[in-house]
Amino acid sequence: MSDDLPEQFDLVVIGTGFTESCIAAAASRVGKSVLHLDSNEYYGDVWSSFSMDALCARFDQKTEPHSSLRNAKYTWHTTESESEGDAPTWNRDSVLAKSRRFSLDLCPRILYAAGELVQLLIKSNICRYAEFRAVDHVCMRHNGEIVSVPCSRSDVFNTKTLTIVEKRLLMKFLTACNDYGEDKCNEDSLEFRGRTFLEYLQAQRVTEKISSCVMQAIAMCGPTTSFEEGMQRTQRFLGSLGRYGNTPFLFPMYGCGELPQCFCRLCAVYGGIYCLKRPVDDIALDSNSNEFLLSSAGKTLRAKNVVSAPGYPPVSKGIELKPHISRGLFISSSPLGNEELNKGGGGVNLLRLLDDAGAREAFLIQLSHYTGACPEGLYIFHLTTPALSEDPASDLAVFTSHLFDQSDAQIIFSSYFTIAAQSSKSPAAEHIYYTDPPTYELDYDAAIANARDIFGKLFPEADFLPRAPDPEEIVVDGEDPSALNEHSLPEDLRAQLHDMQQATQEMDIQD
Amino acid sequence: MHGRVKVRTTEEERERKKKEQALKVRSYRAAMGRIQKKREAGELDNEMLSLTVQILLRNPDVSTLWNIRRECVLEKLSKLKEEEATYETPTDEKLEEEKQTGEEKDKASEKKTLPEDKAHSYFTCELDLTEQCLMVNPKSYNAWHHRSWILEKNPRADWQREVHLCNKYLKFDERNFHTWDYRRYVTEKAMVPAAQELDFCTDKIKVNFSNYSSWHHRSLLLPGLYPNQQRDRPMSEEKLQKELEMVLTAAFTDPNDSSAWFYQRWLLGSGAQLDRAPRIAAFRLESHGAVLALDKPYPDIKQLRTELVGGEKTVLLNSWLPLDKLGTSWKCQQNFDYQRNSSYSLWLSDQIVNLSPMSGSENGAHYFAPPHGTTTCSKDLLAELQTQLQSCLDLLEFEPDSKWTLLTSALLMRAIDFSANHETSLTNLAKLEKVDSLRQGYYKDLAARWTLESELARWPQSAGFPKTFDIADKVLLESLPYGQYLVIADEITLPSKLREKLGDSLPKTFADLKRLS
Repeated sequence: MSDDLPEQFDLVVIGTGFTESCIAAAASRVGKSVLHLDSNEYYGDVWSSFSMDALCARFDQKTEPHSSLRNAKYTWHTTESESEGDAPTWNRDSVLAKSRRFSLDLCPRILYAAGELVQLLIKSNICRYAEFRAVDHVCMRHNGEIVSVPCSRSDVFNTKTLTIVEKRLLMKFLTACNDYGEDKCNEDSLEFRGRTFLEYLQAQRVTEKISSCVMQAIAMCGPTTSFEEGMQRTQRFLGSLGRYGNTPFLFPMYGCGELPQCFCRLCAVYGGIYCLKRPVDDIALDSNSNEFLLSSAGKTLRAKNVVSAPGYPPVSKGIELKPHISRGLFISSSPLGNEELNKGGGGVNLLRLLDDAGAREAFLIQLSHYTGACPEGLYIFHLTTPALSEDPASDLAVFTSHLFDQSDAQIIFSSYFTIAAQSSKSPAAEHIYYTDPPTYELDYDAAIANARDIFGKLFPEADFLPRAPDPEEIVVDGEDPSALNEHSLPEDLRAQLHDMQQATQEMDIQD
Repeated sequence: MHGRVKVRTTEEERERKKKEQALKVRSYRAAMGRIQKKREAGELDNEMLSLTVQILLRNPDVSTLWNIRRECVLEKLSKLKEEEATYETPTDEKLEEEKQTGEEKDKASEKKTLPEDKAHSYFTCELDLTEQCLMVNPKSYNAWHHRSWILEKNPRADWQREVHLCNKYLKFDERNFHTWDYRRYVTEKAMVPAAQELDFCTDKIKVNFSNYSSWHHRSLLLPGLYPNQQRDRPMSEEKLQKELEMVLTAAFTDPNDSSAWFYQRWLLGSGAQLDRAPRIAAFRLESHGAVLALDKPYPDIKQLRTELVGGEKTVLLNSWLPLDKLGTSWKCQQNFDYQRNSSYSLWLSDQIVNLSPMSGSENGAHYFAPPHGTTTCSKDLLAELQTQLQSCLDLLEFEPDSKWTLLTSALLMRAIDFSANHETSLTNLAKLEKVDSLRQGYYKDLAARWTLESELARWPQSAGFPKTFDIADKVLLESLPYGQYLVIADEITLPSKLREKLGDSLPKTFADLKRLS
């Protein structure tokens, strides 16, 4: 492979997952020379989205010992060609024919509208590279049925499931949570410090239905969650309300795989160099120069710092992986829940699931074609839970039985896989910064904290992703930056300026 | 390095903005100068139109420019008319000739439709401009006004399109009262059925109920759609029940939002229209004169025809003199030949009431209708009111100081049975004076009104009626509303504190008037 890559870098980043891309962009943005490598031919690593073909091909790949995607299995639930009646039915062939209309996430997430990632995207001006769809419904299971949780004021007003006094109680409870921690903090709540959130909730004389709304969907708590934690989660939910759409959540259009790429794009704009399909064979530390020597494709690159995704470079260095997240990915020709939850062909719905004991939880994200992640008429269900074993299907069985056994969802494709994480650091890895694998979380808070932390260690003085300027704010060398360029005026104003100059001459007006 | 990225500092940016601003000011002044000159010279041409566009797009609130544009449009229209007049309508012969060559025929028909199309295109152009201006400032009075002016001028105005435009604008901002106002105007023109409008309005309330405009829109639609036969409620009782349910849901979802509570007050009211004619509140007649009290001020009583019918005679009462500044009570010093044996009735425009003779040996007759009459209400509505009251009371247990809940439960109690719940509703007002002390005066005034309503309702049952009126000394009263109702009494006894407070401004009594005359 002939390339004219420079040989010296401030930072080499291995892997184009979310956290790595975030660090690469931050370094490049503050003027560091960055080389970003990935052994795959696509961006995003385990944070990527795939077309239908590519996902199956990825699942069919032999699992390497260091590969963080494993235990993958998939099944088609339709016969190859089946056509009865007038209604077009989906089957393997017709789904695969639309392969490129899919964006299937390995690690799907939902963003809080005022959460860490959204704030970071806005602050850094990376948001201009991405599009989002507001989540349509936040749901919960109540008496075996999937119901929408009223989140906004208008939801509470319109819902028919709560009595008016219940509505008042719910609104009052949420307002109290929102005000908690400010100076006007309610004194009654002080005595709950150190106790559980559930105890606090019960003390507010709210009804059972309100209690499940809050515990399951708003605060997203368990029975043992502390009062402070529950309050903080509720506030996070409420703080994101009323920004975009009816719920506090957003989903990236075309899948979460877009997000690492947005960061890569900023990195490239500031001069970062990208090489995909480029594995790193070995890394050594040159004790003289205190630089890393990376051998890749027969070439040696020198880097002052190295950041790597877990699992890189090859496992020969003694890295061990253990199961971390169990995932289920399903494609169905009908959405989950009733008509009310899927108006106009369904949207993005979020459902937090609990097992019967309330000890284990999972997130279900339903996507419709409005997200650009699947063709019209099909729905994607992403199921995610912390891994217990090397068998994702059995980890998720308790949730899938609740979801699919009693519903009439027409599952066409089902798949299970595990995202694994490094259990220990290799001895040679001491000076290399390894990013954390995808954590089990709804948003990207942990990943951003991880990126921020590593970036802070690498460049303690530098600002983490300051705002990138818009094109019109940029001046080219040799230009008077304060000059008013006639060409930068809107067209009609420019025309008016000419008219005006003419008029001034004609009418002999002095300035 | 060539073309390296360098970001402007805020200082440089400010400097640049300043220059841009100065440039804009200069071009604005120059354009305005040109426009003035052209107007003086009477040049209402296309250049004028394009000059005004430049400014209006940035600032749609320059009324003068809109006026100039209207002048331009009128000028253009009159020119079109002239053209039309000079244009020779082709005779049949000519048409025959032209038929032979298809091309020419096309030309002829083109010419024929041209003036009308041209006019239409002027109007469309103006409409487009207002649309763009409303994007700049959706609350520009001038742009909205110009739009309706243009539509009125255009015989081919597409009112349906205007309704769609309102839908679009209200999607952007469901609370823009300009749009709601304009909507009422265009839906009438487009003959949109009221039921359909009500559905639209309901949808908007579902999106965001904190919206005075859409509640108001409802209050205008409902009385027509669901008329109330007895006229003592704003709409039919079945619909009223549903509305009460909906509005209380909104109020309970966010009790701090006042729009729902205001709508609820309207629902619980009598549905009286502000512009309705005054009704007879009280009347007393003796041989030498009469007094009349109206339930609302009406300064020009001569516009109402007042007639006394009785004793086989009809007397026109026309020499009314005002007894107060508002025009709620009047006296008439005509002499009547009062016949004790005849029954009398009084006409006020189309209202007719029967007079009752004075008790005992006294000559004369009277009529009295207390301000808060007993309104009947159906079983279902009563049940709804009671459910609502119960919900309010439940809520007050959790939030004893909730201002709107206190007021609403008082209103509900009064709607259910105002005399039985009189004391309790006053207790709520007393509490409101404390929890909402900024509006203390308002609550005191309301308490006074309710007290007088209660006293006046009881008055006809008292022994001295209508000659004496008593309010016990222990009753707390800060003012004396409904004073005109007392004009038929000879003697009024008020709590001493109130009497002191009123001083000389005590209401006039019938006895006072006799003495004076």
